[in-house]
Amino acid sequence: MSRPRTSLFVLDTGPLITLAAADSLDYLLYPNVPVVIPDAVFYEATRDSAKLGAQSIMDWVKAHHDQVEIAVTNTYLNFESALRADPHAYAPNLGEQASVEVIEEPTRLQGDEKAVLLCEETMVTRRIVVRERERIVELSTMDFLKLLEAEQRIQSADAVFDSALAAGRTPSRVEKFGEHDPAVRDAVRDTLAAARRTPPRGGRRRRKS
Amino acid sequence: MTEAETTKLLKRYSEAKISVVELRRALGGGVTFGDVLIELARRDLPLPRAPEAGREQRIAAARAALFPKAA
Repeated sequence: MSRPRTSLFVLDTGPLITLAAADSLDYLLYPNVPVVIPDAVFYEATRDSAKLGAQSIMDWVKAHHDQVEIAVTNTYLNFESALRADPHAYAPNLGEQASVEVIEEPTRLQGDEKAVLLCEETMVTRRIVVRERERIVELSTMDFLKLLEAEQRIQSADAVFDSALAAGRTPSRVEKFGEHDPAVRDAVRDTLAAARRTPPRGGRRRRKS
Repeated sequence: MTEAETTKLLKRYSEAKISVVELRRALGGGVTFGDVLIELARRDLPLPRAPEAGREQRIAAARAALFPKAA
């Protein structure tokens, strides 16, 4: 009997920024399951981490495009339209809304599929109308690292957190991508555009609502 | 917000007494997770790692899903 398919959904910026700062994004690939990042979360992580890890996150997504899916959402498409009209447009809870949309897509979690949701902000999962909650497990970054530690895939979860904080203390890394570097901004846009050109794994073609 | 108030909030987050959402709201609009990480580092405060209710069960369930041979 084949193993039920499991996907790892990264539903907010915390895990991406923490792991990027600790040079440990590859840990997300250790379970060898598909990694799904909503487009708005990717956007926020690369925008939010303009001072810390933006380039790492983009390079990592590009390098592992066969394992990492940037999930296209109507939430982000609509926000992008608003940005074109007003470059200062701001959408509170953008990543959260996109995450809820991705998890609730009818084409996700079909059959025996399971989902591990990686997020720091538990309000994402509180908002999800879960069809079968027992097939979803929610983990914080530390939970995930503790899991890898138990699996002996990494030596120490605490050491990863220490590395992330050390990066925050290192001026060269803090300043490297400061103040909305245009090159970073263009790369984010290109990555999101590429995600839209890729056929969705769930088979659903997106349209603006 | 004063420096002391900011530090107090960051300390509460570091001790897992408030969530990152509560922290970011209290610190004001535009504060990102990257900013939080940098401000914690500046004050030598650790990221929150306090045990949470149900953590062991969550990790066990996720381990069974992600690494089925080990479960």
